[in-house]
Amino acid sequence: MGRLRQKGKAGAAKAYVTRTAAIKKLQCSLADFRRLCILKGIFPREPRSRKRANKGSSAPTSFYYAKDIAYLAHEPVLKKLREHKTFAKKISRALGRGEWSSAKSLEDNKPVYRLDHIIKERYPTFIDAVRDIDDALCMVFLFASLPSNSRLPTELVENCSRLAAEWQLYVMHSHSLRKIFLSIKGVYYQAEIMDQTVTWLVPYQFTQNIPADVDVRVMLTFLELYQTLLGFVLFKLYTDVGLIYPPPLDVNKYEGGAGVGAFTLKNLSHQASISIPKLKVVEVDGRKITGKDVRQMIKSIGTTAADVDMDSAIENTIEVDEEFEAHVSTSNPEPSPSLPTLKALSILPQSLSTALFASYTFFLSRETSRPIFEFIVRCFGGRIGWPASSGTGSPFDESDDSITHVIIDRPLVERNENAEEKERRSRRKYVQPQWVVDCINAGKILFEELYTQGKTLPPHLSPFGEYEGAYDPTAGPVGGQESLHSSESDSSDDEVENISTEETITVDDPTALRAAELAAEVAGMDYGTFEKRVEKSNKRTSKGANGDDIEEAEKDMNKMMMSNKQRKLYEKMKFSQKKRDTERVTLETRKKDIQKQKKRESRS
Amino acid sequence: MAVDDAKREAKKRKQPVVEDSSSETQDAVGTLEMLTDDEDGEDAASDDGEVDEFPEIDTTSDTENDGSDEFDEEEEEGEEEEDEEEEDEEEEDEEEDEEDPGAESDDSLHVFPKAKIITSDITSQPKRVYPEIEPNYDSDSSTEDTPNRVGDVPMHWYDDLPHVGYDINGKKVLRPARGDELDKFLATIEDPNAWTSAFDKTAQMDRPLSMEELDIIRRLYNNEVPDANYDPYEPMTEWFTGKGKEEIMPLSSAPEPKRRWVPSKWEKQKVMKIVRAIRQGRIIGAKPKATSKLPVYSIWSEPSSSHPPPLPAPKPRLPTNAESYNPPEEYLPTEEERKEWEAKDVEDRERDFLPQKYPSLRLVPAYDRFIKERFSRQLDLYLAPRIQRAKLNIDPSTLIPKLPSPNSLKPFPNYRSLKFSHPKGRARCISVSLDGAWVISGDEDGVVSLWEVNVGREVKRWKFESKIGSLEWCPRTDVSFFAVGIDEAVHFLIPPNLPGPVFTLTQSILAPATLPPAPPTPSLVKWITSPSATWSIDTPILTLALPPSSGMPTQVTWHRRGDYMTSVSTGGQQSGVWIHQVSRRHSQAPFKKIRGTVQLVLFHPTKPNFFVATQQYVRIYNLSEQKLLKTLMPGIRWISSMDVHPSGDHLIVGGYDRKLCWFDLELSDKPYKVLRYHTRAIRSLHFHPSYPLFASCSDDGSIQIFHSRVYNDLMTDPLIVPLKILRGHEVKDGLGVLQVRWCHRQPWLVSGGADGNVSVWCS
Repeated sequence: MGRLRQKGKAGAAKAYVTRTAAIKKLQCSLADFRRLCILKGIFPREPRSRKRANKGSSAPTSFYYAKDIAYLAHEPVLKKLREHKTFAKKISRALGRGEWSSAKSLEDNKPVYRLDHIIKERYPTFIDAVRDIDDALCMVFLFASLPSNSRLPTELVENCSRLAAEWQLYVMHSHSLRKIFLSIKGVYYQAEIMDQTVTWLVPYQFTQNIPADVDVRVMLTFLELYQTLLGFVLFKLYTDVGLIYPPPLDVNKYEGGAGVGAFTLKNLSHQASISIPKLKVVEVDGRKITGKDVRQMIKSIGTTAADVDMDSAIENTIEVDEEFEAHVSTSNPEPSPSLPTLKALSILPQSLSTALFASYTFFLSRETSRPIFEFIVRCFGGRIGWPASSGTGSPFDESDDSITHVIIDRPLVERNENAEEKERRSRRKYVQPQWVVDCINAGKILFEELYTQGKTLPPHLSPFGEYEGAYDPTAGPVGGQESLHSSESDSSDDEVENISTEETITVDDPTALRAAELAAEVAGMDYGTFEKRVEKSNKRTSKGANGDDIEEAEKDMNKMMMSNKQRKLYEKMKFSQKKRDTERVTLETRKKDIQKQKKRESRS
Repeated sequence: MAVDDAKREAKKRKQPVVEDSSSETQDAVGTLEMLTDDEDGEDAASDDGEVDEFPEIDTTSDTENDGSDEFDEEEEEGEEEEDEEEEDEEEEDEEEDEEDPGAESDDSLHVFPKAKIITSDITSQPKRVYPEIEPNYDSDSSTEDTPNRVGDVPMHWYDDLPHVGYDINGKKVLRPARGDELDKFLATIEDPNAWTSAFDKTAQMDRPLSMEELDIIRRLYNNEVPDANYDPYEPMTEWFTGKGKEEIMPLSSAPEPKRRWVPSKWEKQKVMKIVRAIRQGRIIGAKPKATSKLPVYSIWSEPSSSHPPPLPAPKPRLPTNAESYNPPEEYLPTEEERKEWEAKDVEDRERDFLPQKYPSLRLVPAYDRFIKERFSRQLDLYLAPRIQRAKLNIDPSTLIPKLPSPNSLKPFPNYRSLKFSHPKGRARCISVSLDGAWVISGDEDGVVSLWEVNVGREVKRWKFESKIGSLEWCPRTDVSFFAVGIDEAVHFLIPPNLPGPVFTLTQSILAPATLPPAPPTPSLVKWITSPSATWSIDTPILTLALPPSSGMPTQVTWHRRGDYMTSVSTGGQQSGVWIHQVSRRHSQAPFKKIRGTVQLVLFHPTKPNFFVATQQYVRIYNLSEQKLLKTLMPGIRWISSMDVHPSGDHLIVGGYDRKLCWFDLELSDKPYKVLRYHTRAIRSLHFHPSYPLFASCSDDGSIQIFHSRVYNDLMTDPLIVPLKILRGHEVKDGLGVLQVRWCHRQPWLVSGGADGNVSVWCS
């Protein structure tokens, strides 16, 4: 007889804890727990059997892994949160007693938690961090556009806009933008960074207001994490391509609304002459690390010299060696120039499309959004200028001769132009903003004729594609032949349909065939096509009667022999397939209808 | 005006210094008592009322009255002044040489009584004379003269007595007469002093307030200090400091200690300790205020821990064409779609937006649910449980098992060749003769028909009183008869037109000339043979009378040798399984007691085994050893039908819950395969005796034909292929096809339905 098993001592009952139990164990408030979960990336799990995990109760609760919670118990941030709790008590007491000086000293020594270790833990490698940066970018771009108020301090919004600008600068610098989609929600950008696709959504430039049913505390906690993450990621990205991070900000330009242009990218090699304090810091860092490395190196050499035969020691040294190399490769500024060259090599085949606008100079009309198009055009190597009303920092003004394209979003209005303007108009191409985006998505310069000012634009399609077998709006008319037929027999569509209904009768009934023939003659169809159609319908009916039906019936009968599990799976798959098919078919039919209607309108 | 008057009066009151036993002072003391003592609730209430009335009456009183009051008061004052003057004169008369009290008392607003130094008449020495103590509210009350001398006792002790206390002589002080409320009210109107009078508790009557008391009240109303004599702005008297009061001489003559002017050694040591600590870096000064921005550094240059990274959160779906600001027109929703979308709950919507088309980018508005969507994404990130799912990327048609085509498995019945109908009642039971040429069918009307399979011609019809429960041909080739189960009896019938030897053999078996010896233990079942004289082809030759109230035999089955037969009766009180032996004309109940109600029984085709199906289980007994071999658990709620494969190793069981279970008896107690294809309850199952076929029929009116190939080697699983669904029976009163039977030697099927038709299905 095996050992007796007590209930609740093993298995799901041990592996999962409810949220209430977790909070009790961590001895923190629910808000703190939430904050911890957000920062640490801990999310509830779904146990196989909720009853087994919850002592036989099936009440709706959320479960966490007991191990996750056990790790949380040792989290430094949790300690800091507890310290903050006592701090809040102390300061409220000091304020209540009017002890201003002690309150001030308390405020000065306020506990502040750091998130570096969490970033490192959640994203052990840089690639992991880049892979998971989508949400961070979306949030930072959103908060950069929000108005600051009592709940959103100005520093926060400023920091977000700084991070957003730095990110855009990097993308522009590395030419890594790939796809753009102008949607009703905002602009989707997709960039390829370190072979990871990063997609982010930027809202259109309007003042957003936080709705009442949104918990700002949750968003701010996420933002806290995302800001830290982006800071580290950007630092790594900048230093890897040999740029100073953070890029120096020109305050005058910034206040003039120059946006991205307010920052200047500086190379690390030029750094010495530009910013001495920055250099110092880096140098100190470098020296520290190299010193440590040297010490490690010496130690390792010593151990190898001392006892070669000890396996563990060898292993250690090997590890240390590897570490050492890793340090050198990332921290030493000298190899860093080699990285961009490698990157450049990998980028090289795509260089054609990344330098799409290299030979063009754009000018933005004042109603187009400067942040969007400045970013896009500069990403693809073009030059761009804008009127002063869209912000300072334009490299050239409207009268510049090098301008090849004007991005304009105004309807065409007849007005008197002087000779110079006319001359300019003839020299430049006036295109609508969609042209720029469509060119990038197509990877080539499209014909501008369709996109000129005042034209009805062709539809803007998603560059991200849809699922396989979805409706493709770019495909030609679906039933190509049928539509041809309908265009041939342009007498009327309804009559043709009538005939086709009669054709089904023709198969077995000679008199009906005769009648259908007559009807076809009346409709103006020649005898040859009529015969062809009859044959076709004959074939169809005979096939349907004999081959397909039997096959289908056999398949239906074979379904009997499926196991229950397989049958359910089959039905589920069939259901989704059918749903997708109906979706596609409705879109196709709707397109056909629209085409017909258009034709009718054009005819009348 | 009034205030000024009061002030004036107060000043005037100060003037009489000597007199102390005036009625006014008594009044004052009385009111004081009244103000401090709150024991009597009623009195207090009345007091309050009067105090409250004080301003009211003041405001509402007529000016005439007021004037008259004032006039009266002035008159009184005048009288008083006259009195005082008289008294003063008297005093002056008495003590002219001593003092001038009037002049002194005019400025007698001092805190401390001022003494005067006069020369005594008697000793002719100067002596200090203090003014008489004014029996005011701050004077000692013990010297007062009140008529009531009860002291400080609660006055409610005298509530039900005629007196209110005792005077100084021990005489009772009688309670003053007190009118009722009306009198009180009249008094307030008539008496001009009523509004300035209050209830005196010791005297138990209303007393007018003195001018001092009124002054106090006024002062209290004005938030002033109640004492008129108190001066809050008195000049400060400097007692110890100030000019001329400095201490010039030192208090101690001890010399000044050295420590007063030499720097401290210990202090220096302590400071030096701190200085040294700072120099050595043990004490670090307060850091400059930490900047709000935390520094960023190359975090990934350190090697990461060996922990595997947590799974990244799934990325949101990328936008499709429908989300474009300028989608193709076919993506735009129609009016109905828009309404449907708007009517749906936010959670139920398939898409969180409606496609819209804008002619140019400049016209695209802000997306109003942007923040909400970001927020819901974050909620998903930290509140939603995540499950990793393997995505199946297979063609669903591959899930359907590949089976041989029915065309390759011919012959099987696929069309209805003929129909025989029972006009009244459902064709409940059918049986096909061993040579496959004849069918007997019984209906609920009590009719048993014998007809030919090939042409459907009825040869013979028997009519019974009640409905037919079961029918079965005897499986012997040398004899020809069948058993019919009708209420509480089993009849044996011989078909007509039998060849001579067969007929005689049949007759000799069923009605032998010499009866076999009776069994030692008499059975409950009676074997009744109709006498040969009266017997005709229309009547049963032999009848087994089952014990009374055992119910109708719903099933009759023969052993393959044709000697043993079992009958199962349901609806009776006792378990109705009987095994009858025709040759010995003996019946026995194989089970004394059986768990559950027996639905069906079957003989094993080769072994002496016996299958018994109760509602949920199938039990297999060995009849020769009389023990239970196996219990099969089909998992069916209510077993309706069962048949055993001719090889004897496979069993199919059908249930009212639409399930069909195929048991491999060598394999397991659990079904090898469970099929559920009928939409209503399964009614009957039958294996073809020679072809690899079996059929099932159901209340949905369909018959399903299966190919069932059983292999001899134990390794290969039996092959079950659905072949054909035969439809043609109508569903009547929720009942469809009630029984199916195969024809021996031909792949033909006979089926009886609730619509009264018996059909023959041919290949």
